[in-house]
Amino acid sequence: MKIPYFPGCTLYNKARGLDNSTRASLAALGVELAELPQWTCCGTVFPLARDNYMGMVAAARILAGVAGEGEDRLLTVCSFCYNVLKRVNYEMQHNLEARQKLNDYLEENYGGEIQVVHPLEICKEDVGFNAIQAKTSRNLKGLKVACYYGCMLVRPALEMGFDDPENPTIMEEMVAALGAEVVEYPHKTTCCGSYQVLHENDLVRQRVRDILNSAVAKGAEAIITSCPLCQFNLDWLQEKILELNTGFRQIPVLYFTQLLGVALELPRESLGLEQHYVDPRPLLLGAMPPLR
Amino acid sequence: MAMELSNKMSREIIERIKEISGQDPYLCMQCGTCSAGCTGREIMELLPRQVMRLIQLGNAQALHCRSIWVCSTCLLCTARCPRGIDLARLMEALRVINLRLGREVLVAEKIPVELLTRVPQMALTSGFRKLSA
Repeated sequence: MKIPYFPGCTLYNKARGLDNSTRASLAALGVELAELPQWTCCGTVFPLARDNYMGMVAAARILAGVAGEGEDRLLTVCSFCYNVLKRVNYEMQHNLEARQKLNDYLEENYGGEIQVVHPLEICKEDVGFNAIQAKTSRNLKGLKVACYYGCMLVRPALEMGFDDPENPTIMEEMVAALGAEVVEYPHKTTCCGSYQVLHENDLVRQRVRDILNSAVAKGAEAIITSCPLCQFNLDWLQEKILELNTGFRQIPVLYFTQLLGVALELPRESLGLEQHYVDPRPLLLGAMPPLR
Repeated sequence: MAMELSNKMSREIIERIKEISGQDPYLCMQCGTCSAGCTGREIMELLPRQVMRLIQLGNAQALHCRSIWVCSTCLLCTARCPRGIDLARLMEALRVINLRLGREVLVAEKIPVELLTRVPQMALTSGFRKLSA
């Protein structure tokens, strides 16, 4: 199975581990990602002002280009890219004014025909969690994992159509299939503070501390996410949190595709596990194949 | 007694916010569900519910409060509003009215270098799109 793939700007820079582990783990499951020959930034955030059509142009152009190649699906893994592409696609389907304005501007004739998909959906619906389970060697047995969705994957529910906006379970289903233990905690869809890390850093640190403490209190040994900004906030802010709170216990925060890659026993150099602040490798050491 | 807005400026502000957001602020019944879950509630001087009230009254203070810049557009309020109001769009309207007048809060030069070089690219693009003119 071959699916067009939109990596997004962060995956070419700070989140290479997400890009590499997505490609490697999906390839191991028989899904080949064909990166778009040309792509631009998706716009990062969906414009919430009704008159801001310019904020939708980049995503609309990307989607129209994929449709122009005769494809019917586009895969992206970054939660922000997924959110923007899917919401703009929804506008192209349902908002006639936006569709006409954007098509006129781009000289395209796109009506939202592309289906924007996330690797979690591919794992569940195309590959199947049972098939994934059969490919794992149970090397994650006993590992306690908390799933963190954040905002962009699940909200707004109607446009995203991803999972229950208050209690999504798709990542937990994957964790169970990988043979690890799911940790339930109340903060899986609360916001880490997102881009406010640049403007209201103290607020984000407080939110991150609440989320991490909650997961740790429930016994989590690792947190997984699909968003490079959540990953950064939850992981890299732990340095300062520890500095200010002596009792704070650090916890590795990795991408779900990295955990998937470890479960599939992929070469560790393909997973980017060394790129995090809290090193997840000691925790996963027993599960890892030796360095080649 | 029906609430009356005597001030012409008030009516203009309300119409502008309604136009940009596509939302009807008068659906709000002030229940506070938005504020209970809000990501930035601890450092907002006005909770989302209170911002909604100011909009209903056409009070220009809604345009000048810190809360609109603390919002992380996480959409928890939008997801939970029992009246179906997309509050995030109303907060965005308040921001863009400011931004289009050049009033911004995120200035590149003021971001600490050690943060600037570490954050993922998406933090910069999203932050600048939401908080700078």
